Amino acid sequence: MAEFEQDAAPSPEELRQWRAEFEAAARRPLEQRLKYAFIKTYKPVMDDARFRAFDTTADYRRWCEENLPEWLGYGRV
Amino acid sequence: MARHGVRYLFIGNAGAVLLGFPDTTQVTELFVADEAENCRSLLAAVGELDFQLSASENEQILRGKDFVQLKNGPFDLDLVFAPDGIERFDDAWRRRAVVDRFPVCHMDDIIASKAATNRRKDQESLPRLRAFRDYWLANPPPGQSIGDA
Repeated sequence: MAEFEQDAAPSPEELRQWRAEFEAAARRPLEQRLKYAFIKTYKPVMDDARFRAFDTTADYRRWCEENLPEWLGYGRV
Repeated sequence: MARHGVRYLFIGNAGAVLLGFPDTTQVTELFVADEAENCRSLLAAVGELDFQLSASENEQILRGKDFVQLKNGPFDLDLVFAPDGIERFDDAWRRRAVVDRFPVCHMDDIIASKAATNRRKDQESLPRLRAFRDYWLANPPPGQSIGDA
């Protein structure tokens, strides 16, 4: 796996593209933005319990690292 | 939530989306003031939203867990009482944005929280979130207010 470039600075082209996306989003009404923003796909392990509670947020982060597949992206850099 | 007087803020990607950030998310994350009375109001509100909580689960929320994940309702909901990167609820509340009637963490707090969490998925989204933050401040969206009046 290639080394992940932490928080790499965006290129001018990326910034132009993003700005165009922000402007397009700003033209959409809130209801429409919400309708398309919330999606649901199954996440292994994460979605296999109906309720979880952790004493501390650090406990939750640790649980994610120890139990979730790495590819879900919940591991800390 | 508002009807029950719950003190909460949208945070995470759901918060950013409310502010206008074009992205998708699978979970609604709420930063909730960690106060006993507020937790009781929260339980009443999530019950009305059709989340099915057992007595034991209610008790855990009232006992002051810092992070609660609900997947037993109409959508996935994370209740975060102590998010990474934000010291106090009241500070975030003073900085909040209001979108329609929804209270949302300021983009600076959403970014601070993700930066402090420092997961791979956060690192990947932070440059775009920072670019949006600059756009959002330079182009205040109609219908949104920022900070205490």
